[in-house]
Amino acid sequence: MARESFDKEIQFLRMLTLTSGAYNRQQFADRLGISVHTFDKTIRRLKEIVQSVQQQLPAEQGHDFNELLRFNYYESADPLLLFLFRAKSLKESESLRLALLLTALQSQPLTTMELLDACCDGLPSDNPLPDEKTIRSDLKYLVEVGVVRKEPGGRPYRYAVRNDLVAGLTDEELLDLYDFVDIMANTQLPSVQGFLLRDHLKKAMRRQGGDRDMAEPFLYKYHYYSRILDEAHIHPLLHAIRQRRCVTFLYFSTSKRSMYGSQNTNPLFEKETEGREHTILPLQVIYDHQYGRWYVLGHVGGKGIMKFRLEGMTQLMEGESVPEQRFADLLAVLEEKTRYSWLVDTGRAVKVRVRFYNPEGAKRNFIRERVLSQGQWGTITEEDNESFIYEITVNGITEIKPWIRSFGSSCEVLEPRQLRKEFRQEWKELQAYYEPVRENI
Amino acid sequence: MSLFEKIFNYQIVSRLDESGAFATTSQERVWLQSMLADSAAAEAFTPATLDKLRSMLADDEPLEADGSLKEKAGSSASSVYHPLLRVLRPILRSRSGICMNYRLRNGRTHERMSGFPYKLEYSMVKKEWSLLWYNRRHRALMSTKLSNIVTVSEEEFSPEEAEKLTQRILGILESRKVQGIIEIIPIYNGEMSRILYAFSCFEKEVEYVQEVDTYRITLTFQADECEYVLSKIRFLGKRVRVVQGARLISRMKETIAKALARYEEEE
Repeated sequence: MARESFDKEIQFLRMLTLTSGAYNRQQFADRLGISVHTFDKTIRRLKEIVQSVQQQLPAEQGHDFNELLRFNYYESADPLLLFLFRAKSLKESESLRLALLLTALQSQPLTTMELLDACCDGLPSDNPLPDEKTIRSDLKYLVEVGVVRKEPGGRPYRYAVRNDLVAGLTDEELLDLYDFVDIMANTQLPSVQGFLLRDHLKKAMRRQGGDRDMAEPFLYKYHYYSRILDEAHIHPLLHAIRQRRCVTFLYFSTSKRSMYGSQNTNPLFEKETEGREHTILPLQVIYDHQYGRWYVLGHVGGKGIMKFRLEGMTQLMEGESVPEQRFADLLAVLEEKTRYSWLVDTGRAVKVRVRFYNPEGAKRNFIRERVLSQGQWGTITEEDNESFIYEITVNGITEIKPWIRSFGSSCEVLEPRQLRKEFRQEWKELQAYYEPVRENI
Repeated sequence: MSLFEKIFNYQIVSRLDESGAFATTSQERVWLQSMLADSAAAEAFTPATLDKLRSMLADDEPLEADGSLKEKAGSSASSVYHPLLRVLRPILRSRSGICMNYRLRNGRTHERMSGFPYKLEYSMVKKEWSLLWYNRRHRALMSTKLSNIVTVSEEEFSPEEAEKLTQRILGILESRKVQGIIEIIPIYNGEMSRILYAFSCFEKEVEYVQEVDTYRITLTFQADECEYVLSKIRFLGKRVRVVQGARLISRMKETIAKALARYEEEE
C-alpha cells in the first residue's frame, strides 16, 4: 500500500497560516497547483478533523477556516496546527477496535483471547466481529508504536497498556509533569511529540478534575507558528542521517509561484511540475530562530554541500546508504565550512566590526544585553560610556546583515568598508520610502 | 519514526477521550526522556518525582543526541524554568490574588503590593518569564519579570472579584491593541515567503492587491510591542515599507535620519 503523503496538507496549511486571507479559492488553488475542487475537498477534510479534535470550536456552517488559523496567542496556548498530525486515515472499524482494546487494558493486563472477547462485547451490534488474527495484528501494531507492552512471563502472553504516566503519578505530580511538557514543547525543538503528549495529559487531567475547564497559566510570546508543520520532515531526515542514507525529494524553490505539484495518477492530466528532483546525503538539520524556518544541509555528488529549506520539500524518500567513513569525511568538511556561518552560508570568511551605541538615558543597557545574547561567537572588544565595539568573523555578510540592520541607528558598521557603504546606501533608499510623494507638474 | 501514526488519528483520540482511556506512544516517552535531561527538569520536579519519571521511562531507548539537529541565530539559552513558576502556577490556577514585594528597574522596591495575577508569559526572544498582573492600588495591568520578584504570597479572592478583574484585564488588553499596515515592495515578491515567515510571530492578516501585484500585511499587536515590531521591520530593510500606523512610521523616519547621520561624514 502506498504510504500516505501529507505534503499537500502541509503546504496547504503553511500557505493558509502565512498568507491568511490574501487569496480567493482560485488564486490559492493556482498557487498550490491543484484544482479548486481539490481545494474545497481538502478544506472540508481539514475542517472535519479540527472540529472533532477541538470540540470547543464554533462549528457553524461556512465558518471561515482562516479565522481558525489566525494566530492570537492571547486566546490559546493550544497549537491548532497540531491537528495535521491527527490526519492519518483509518478505517472506521479499525479506529473502533483500537480504542476498545486500549480501553479494555486500562484496568489490567489481558491476553489476546480476553481482548478478543472485550472487543466483541464492546462493538455496536451492526459491526462484523473481528477474528483472533485481526486482534493479533492490532496488538502487533500497538506494541510497535509502544502503546502496549508484552508482559514478562510465559504463554498465554498478557499485554499491558503504557498509561503509567497518568496512573503512576499523584495529582500534584501530574500537574508538574503537564507544566513541564507544556513549557518544553513550547520552547524546545523538536516539539510535536511534546504537544501530542501535552494534549493527552490535558485530557486525562480534565477527566480527573471532573471535566473542570483548566485555566492555562502560561503564554508564549513571539512564537513562529508554522514551525511545527516542518517537523513532519525532520524526523525522516534525522533517521536518514542516523542510518547514513541518501534521500530523494522533489523541491520547490520558495521564489516560485507554485508551492506544490499535484500528483495526478491519470497520465492524461499529468502536467509539468515546477519542482526539481534532488538526491542528497543529508548531514545536518538546522533551525533558524530569526525566521522560524528549517534547513537541511547535505552533500550532492559533483556539487559538494547544498542547502535546502524544508518548506520546499515534498515526496521525501529514503535511499541507499554510504559507508561510515565516507559520511564522517563529508560531515567533517561541512563542519569546517559552516564553522563561521551566521546561519548556513558557506562563503568566504570576513571580519565584521560594528560600533554599537548604548541607549541614552535608559535604565538598562538593552543594546548590550541583546548583542551579548544574540551575537553568537562575536566578542565585545572596546567599551566606553557611549558605545562599544563588537567584532565577529562570519562566512559572507548576507546572513548577519539583517540582524545588524535591526538595531537601526544604535549601531554603525565600521568594517568591511563595502558593508559600511551598503548600509549607508540602504538607509538612503529607505529614506525615500518615507518621503512625501511630490506630484510632477 | 513518523509523526503520522494511526494511533494519533483524530477518531481514535476522541474515542479514547470518551472512554476515559490514556496511553502514551514510545515517541512521546522518548521525547519526554530527552527533555528530562535538560537542566530545567531539576527545577520543575521534586527529586522524588524526577526519579519516578525516569524509572517509568527506563525501558524506552533514548534518542542519541548526535548533533545532527542544530539551532542557529537564536538567543543564548538560559534555563527555561524559573523557581517561582511552581509557586505562582497554583495561585493562577485557583484564580487567587497575590501580595508581593518586587524590585523596579531603578533599584527601588515596591512592598506589599496587592494584585490579581493573569498569566505567566515567556518571551521567546528575551528568553525570560514575566508575570502579567493587575495592580489594585494603581488600577493598572503590569508586567513584572519573575527575576525582579522578591517575595510573593497568596491572597484570598472571591470568584466574583476574580471574574470581574479578569474581564477588566481583557478589556485593557483589547484597548492596548494597535495596528500597522506593512507593504511588501513588489520587486521583492519573490521573497514573500521569507517576509511572511518573519511576521508570522504576530497576529496578522494578509491582503493581495492583484491590480498592482502588491501584498499588504496588517499586523495587530499590543502597544508595548511596538519596538519589537520595528526591529522586525528594520530587519527586512528595503523589502518592506510601513504604509499605515502613525507611531511605526514616525519611529522609522526618526531611525533613518539618525542612522544616516552616523554615516554622513564621508560623502
